[in-house]
Amino acid sequence: MRRRAFLALPPALLAGAVLAAPTFAPVRRDTRLAFPRDHGAHPGYRTEWWYVTGALDAPRANIGFQLTFFRSRSGRAEELVSPLAATQVMFAHAALTLPGERLLHAERSARPGLGAGYSVADCGLHVGPWSMARDDGAGGERLRLAAATPDFGFAFELAPTQPLLLQGEHGWSQKGPRPEFASHYLSWPQLEVSGSLRLDGSPRPARGRAWFDHEWSSAVLAPGAVGWDWIGINLDDGGALMAFRIRDAGGGTVHAGAMLRDATGRQTRFGPEAVSFRPLRRWRSPRNGADYPVEEEILVGPHRLRTRPVLDDQEIGAHRPLPVAYWEGLVTLEGGLRGRGYQELAGYAAPLRV
Amino acid sequence: MMRLGWWLIRAQLLARRSATALSMLAIALGVALGYAIHLINDAALADFSRAMKAVQGEPDVVIAPRDGAGHIPLALVDQLSRDAAVAVLAPVIETRVRIGDTPLLARLIGLDPFSAALLMPTLLPDQAADAMGSLLDGAVFASPALAEKVGADATLMRGAARWQARIGGELAAVPAGEKLLVADIAWVQAHFGPRDGVGEIRIRLSPGMPLAAWRAAWAPRLPAGIELRAAEDNQARVSNISRAYRVNLNVLAMVALLTGAFLVFATQLTAVAQRSTQFALLGVLGLPPRLRLLQVLVEGLAIGVPGSLLGLLLGCGLAVGFTRVAGGDLGGGFFSPATPVIVPQLLPTAGFFALGCLASLLGALYPAWLNRIQPLAQALKTGFAQGQARGGGHARGRDALLILALAVGALALARVPAIADLPLGGYAAIALLLMLGIVCAPLATRALFGAVARARLPAPLKIAVQNILQAPLMAQVAASGLIVSFALTVSMVTMVASFRTALDQWLDAVLPAPLYMRSKAVPLPAELLADLARADSPFQRVERMAASSFSLDPQRPTVALLVREIDRRDPGAQLPFTGAVADVAPGGIPVWISEAMQQVHGIAVGQRLRLPLLGREIEVTVSGVWRDYARQFGAVVMTADDYLALGGRFEATDLALWPRPGQEAAAQTWLRGAATRHGVEATASGEIRELSLSIFDKSFAITHALEAAAMLIGLFGLAVTLAASVGLRARELAMLAALGFDRAMLGRAVVFEGALVTCVGLALGLAAGIAVGAILTHVVNPQAFHWRMPLAVPWPPLLAVAAATLAAGMLASGIAARRATRLPAAQVLASAQ
Repeated sequence: MRRRAFLALPPALLAGAVLAAPTFAPVRRDTRLAFPRDHGAHPGYRTEWWYVTGALDAPRANIGFQLTFFRSRSGRAEELVSPLAATQVMFAHAALTLPGERLLHAERSARPGLGAGYSVADCGLHVGPWSMARDDGAGGERLRLAAATPDFGFAFELAPTQPLLLQGEHGWSQKGPRPEFASHYLSWPQLEVSGSLRLDGSPRPARGRAWFDHEWSSAVLAPGAVGWDWIGINLDDGGALMAFRIRDAGGGTVHAGAMLRDATGRQTRFGPEAVSFRPLRRWRSPRNGADYPVEEEILVGPHRLRTRPVLDDQEIGAHRPLPVAYWEGLVTLEGGLRGRGYQELAGYAAPLRV
Repeated sequence: MMRLGWWLIRAQLLARRSATALSMLAIALGVALGYAIHLINDAALADFSRAMKAVQGEPDVVIAPRDGAGHIPLALVDQLSRDAAVAVLAPVIETRVRIGDTPLLARLIGLDPFSAALLMPTLLPDQAADAMGSLLDGAVFASPALAEKVGADATLMRGAARWQARIGGELAAVPAGEKLLVADIAWVQAHFGPRDGVGEIRIRLSPGMPLAAWRAAWAPRLPAGIELRAAEDNQARVSNISRAYRVNLNVLAMVALLTGAFLVFATQLTAVAQRSTQFALLGVLGLPPRLRLLQVLVEGLAIGVPGSLLGLLLGCGLAVGFTRVAGGDLGGGFFSPATPVIVPQLLPTAGFFALGCLASLLGALYPAWLNRIQPLAQALKTGFAQGQARGGGHARGRDALLILALAVGALALARVPAIADLPLGGYAAIALLLMLGIVCAPLATRALFGAVARARLPAPLKIAVQNILQAPLMAQVAASGLIVSFALTVSMVTMVASFRTALDQWLDAVLPAPLYMRSKAVPLPAELLADLARADSPFQRVERMAASSFSLDPQRPTVALLVREIDRRDPGAQLPFTGAVADVAPGGIPVWISEAMQQVHGIAVGQRLRLPLLGREIEVTVSGVWRDYARQFGAVVMTADDYLALGGRFEATDLALWPRPGQEAAAQTWLRGAATRHGVEATASGEIRELSLSIFDKSFAITHALEAAAMLIGLFGLAVTLAASVGLRARELAMLAALGFDRAMLGRAVVFEGALVTCVGLALGLAAGIAVGAILTHVVNPQAFHWRMPLAVPWPPLLAVAAATLAAGMLASGIAARRATRLPAAQVLASAQ
């Protein structure tokens, strides 16, 4: 799932649909994904994102990074005949967690044609000079990332070590109690990271492990939902775990799910009854007072797990297109399964409306 | 010693109250004028750049097509956006539109809210989500100045294109007075173009990216029709627009200051002369010559310091008052009429203060030196030693040589081309000419008085003439002041008159049609053109013109492009050519350039040019040069046929109309109706002519004030020196009275003398003035403003001013004579012993 703050936008940009009434493509359970086509954009759907999160071991241990591209079909200007019409808008976020220090974050936005672009044939995205693209070079399949801000910058090459992981049923992932709330969702765990990271001016060689998510949908959160907790963890033994729950205003679970692929490649899917989240330790944001459960106990089937953040303050204050705060950062997973990955806690600063 | 100095200053100021006050005023005037011009211009420029920043943001770089018909292709936008050195890339489409069928014109700015939020936040509606969304959905937001005039909907029109737009709200942050509309760039593109492109790109570079390096990397990669302008280019362009005009005004202020210096000179000279006995006494008592020199200099400063302070105050007041009444325009028409805020800065203020003091010191220099070298014994006995008339062939030869050198120097300097776009050579030549006038004064005085002395004259007159011939210094000083001030007046009057005459003739040539219609920078509505083309319209002929502009140099103002329906075989019928018209080989594209274009860019007839038109470079041949007083920064005329053949769109902005014979009245009515309906301007050629001339007169109003000031200063200087020279001769006059001359006879003699001195000043002033006027019209104007014109000397007003001056000079002498002969002769003679 991977809903992010992005989904929490007030209806302004995303739900302008009411006026122009564009018909968004529906998520269909019987869709079979094909690649590399489905690495590309699906502009008929309302929202889509490509997420890369990861943990570096060099130049320092446990540096967390993410580079994310969002595509939004705004529902605006659908009738306008112009190559510049803002029917689609793209946003990109780049963040870096320096364990024990702080989180650095930057964002960009643009519309395709005027500073941004996406390919519908393969993963090929850019917002300004930030980019994410897939290619089949001499060394095999690669994802290449590039982002630069005044504070930091990176250029990474991601080499797959495992096949794609289609979430849910063949990439059809249910998000609410009813099947109409669903998305197309695929992950690519255990990507080997190499490249360079710039901090304090000079680029230095970097390596680590990353997780890639690509998800698109037209109908998102179920009524009553105010936020979600989510993890995507590269397990130390080569396995991969994704788990989420969608919360209501009272903190109760509206829907939940998980997918575990073990080191041998065996996939196990867990339904709402087999997944639960329980806060163990909270951290209060000094900026907005939001109380994030930065350590959680997560039960997935037989596995009792807990998360520990490498840094408490991994709250991201995004401003584009509109101000929204959420917690998203690098955690280590302990308990029955051990690994490193990203945790997201959304809807704690304010209820998210969709 | 200090106390003595102070006492002397006080006595001096008190004894010569009117002369001192006058000198102060003159210094104050010069300082005030220069300071006010500086303040007004500073404020206007600041105002301009503030408005520019609000609308354009503060990009490091703007990438824009070099002509109005060009655009930035989307591929280039994409390339630039992928450059890691580009922190913000804001594409913009800006156009001018007419709002509905009203005379309201507005700038329509199509922007991309995502990038505009970072670069031009003032152009975005409140960050409320619905405003942002409705912007993307095609809502148009209006600046406060427009919001109150438009309703919920507005038809935006440009030529044949129209957009029925919904007004989404107000742009509260846009500066008052700006008439602009903001919409999402895609909606502007869809309705007004350009196809597959944007109008310009504003870029902010990443911190740490050096602009020069980035520019060097990108400039060669841009297509020919697109230029890269750095922020400082824009500033240079803005400042270049009014530079020549400002420099000219400042030179005038300088002249006022110099006249002030001259007045100080006259005052101090008479002061030194009148107190020569006192100074001699002090000298004998032990006051060293150095201190005598210093004393006069300090007295000069005592005039300069309060004068400068008064000038600063006056200048500030003048600037504030002027901007309240007329805006920051200085009469030049370069800036918007909004009232800018005057903010004096320390350094320039101190500079103008110092300038005033310097002028007063300069004026006191020669009298101070004279005071130093006074022979004490003689001064004690007989008063001020003027120095003997430097008779003898030797001195006369030296004078002649100096005159020759000055004349040759002035001629040579007048031929120097503009330096940094400023007619510095011309200004220097003017300074030499004024000096020449002054240097000629002794020669002319000797010649005139010598001739008069040989004539048969009544005794008192003969004595007066002889007196001047023997001791000519005071007379020369009096004449010199007049020479300078009259020369300046004559030159300015001549220049303005020449310009006005030329403008008048030019207006005849460029306004051949009885009626005109125009629409500022917006194509005329298509319906209007269709109506005009109908068989029942009351016009027998309509000539269309499309005005736009292109950029030849990012640091210079843009050049006008006038696409006109011109007959290639006979362009002279429609353009006022200044010289021969060259034939252009078939297949070539002829253009006719204005004089300004010819001079600014050094282009000759027959030359081939590559002009940035239609987004690319197009080779044209210069077929002729025509006179244009309307566009100071150059204009290029091209035929509509050629422009269409190149793929351009001929969208008329101006029409010249000839009514059918007998239907003149109907045509006027028809036109006024159409003008109101479509919100365009319709004028008869007579009105345009009147308006142009009145604008001209307004913009030269300030020079008339200066002429008056110069004449007043000159007259006062004349009066002061004449009075002083008569005063010096009180004893002599008393002697003559004792010998039996009555007061009337003495008065006549003094008046005669004054008239002769005034005549010398006027004659030399007139000659120098016409020469300076010729330099202004033939050197300064073409170099600074790129306008050429024939010299026309307006004799009647000049002679009238001369006659008035002569009368004033005679009056001043008469009054001085009355004063000098008021006391009984015996008493004067007794006290002098």
